[in-house]
Amino acid sequence: MPIIEVRGVSKTYEDPVTGRKTRTLDNVSLAAKENDFLILLGPSGCGKSTLLNIIAGLVPHDADGGEVRVEGKRVTGPNPKLMAYMFQDPVLYPWRTVLRNVEFGLEALGLDKAQRHERAFQYLRMVGLEDFANYYPRQLSGGMAQRVAICRSLALETDIILMDEPFGALDEQSRIILGDELVEIWRRVRRTVVFVTHSLTEAVYLGERIVVFSARPGKIKVEIENRIERPRRLGEPESSRMVDALWGHLKGESLIAIKRARAEEERLELPQE
Amino acid sequence: MRWGLVLAILVIWEAVTRLGSLNPIIVAPASVVLLQVFRILFGDTTVPNFYLNTAITLGEVIASYLITIVLGVFLGFVFASSKLIGDAFEPILLVLYAIPKIILYPLLILILGIGALPNIVFGVLLGVFVVIFNTSAGLRQVEPNYLRLAHSLGYSERAIFFKVVLPAAAPTIMAGLRLGFGYTIIGVITAELLVVSVGLGWLIDNATVNYLTAQLYALVLITLGIGVAGNSLFGAIERRWVK
Repeated sequence: MPIIEVRGVSKTYEDPVTGRKTRTLDNVSLAAKENDFLILLGPSGCGKSTLLNIIAGLVPHDADGGEVRVEGKRVTGPNPKLMAYMFQDPVLYPWRTVLRNVEFGLEALGLDKAQRHERAFQYLRMVGLEDFANYYPRQLSGGMAQRVAICRSLALETDIILMDEPFGALDEQSRIILGDELVEIWRRVRRTVVFVTHSLTEAVYLGERIVVFSARPGKIKVEIENRIERPRRLGEPESSRMVDALWGHLKGESLIAIKRARAEEERLELPQE
Repeated sequence: MRWGLVLAILVIWEAVTRLGSLNPIIVAPASVVLLQVFRILFGDTTVPNFYLNTAITLGEVIASYLITIVLGVFLGFVFASSKLIGDAFEPILLVLYAIPKIILYPLLILILGIGALPNIVFGVLLGVFVVIFNTSAGLRQVEPNYLRLAHSLGYSERAIFFKVVLPAAAPTIMAGLRLGFGYTIIGVITAELLVVSVGLGWLIDNATVNYLTAQLYALVLITLGIGVAGNSLFGAIERRWVK
């Protein structure tokens, strides 16, 4: 049985000010199996982040017959025991040290002080940040901060980790390094990862299965299995071919998304002079 | 560096008063003023009951400030918690804030009589607004992602308030308390100078009408010193607390 099942999910967003309805997801169905590394790939505005939020239980989907099941049970709200969620921004609390930030996730799980401390340190060691336990977030670089965020998510020891463009704000070198570390950890701890990105190279470098979205309203265009052997290398001919194939699916959608964004800008009415 | 600047100012002050043609009634030389400061502090002057009056003023400042922070933080919480109340009262608050509250002082005297009370109330009037605004803004303007993270981890609204909202708002609230302190002191001392009865304001007025120029400058310096000391105390508390 797939660990995550999305069936016929749609999402319509209603603007509270103008009342305009925008359909961001249209009848999306997909599934993730255990230990999968599933990539949600698509142009901006296609709803991939929205879908991730729906899976996480942070945002409800339209009540028109679609459903989301995680480990067989319907999703009704956030469940930190089942799913860890990572934002694009590390979101570390500046008033807490690195260690205490990792513990913040654990405090929600009802562990006692000693257990929290123990587990937080264990995972800090896993991401190589044990020496920085008493540092404050402002003393960390972008990559290190995101590592702490990864650590916080891992420490929850959930079966599923959802990541919304976690490396989006980093420089390329950090993205590659953290990507490698993430895959390494994923292979070691055997969790299911759902990863949202708009980067083709990242999708091919990291993912086992890649789901390509169309432009808004988001539908699934194609699902691709990525069987390239790990450890993967940048610039391998197989990877380049796959990137090319993905771009073939994605290019049209990206152009639509860009054109639509421009059209929406132009539709602004300027006041009569 | 800072002390060098202070020293430079003192030297220039001394030089200008000694060598220039300034009327000694208007400006007293730095050395004479500093001498007066010491004499006042050691009780060796014509200043009547210096420590008693200073204590009265300090008492007024402390009372005024305590009321300011309790009232200010409380109202700040109220305005932040309900969008309805906040939106309803914000324009009223802004108008009151914009009025030069010194024109309300005669009204205070009329209602409360002459003495310490109108001074305390005036200090509150000046200081409370910045505390309200800062508290309210600090609580309302917590980074949305901070809240989203806590929500995604399944924390209850109550837990989120204590674990995320309060610590996130703390620096802004503290800034409000610090500014409020400054305004409160200004308010109390100004009130004391306007309708003179007791306290440092009375001592300053006394020195003014008797043309005791050096004493006047000395008292002003002492008052400044109290203000600076208060502020430094704040800074120290803030540093230890906010880390």
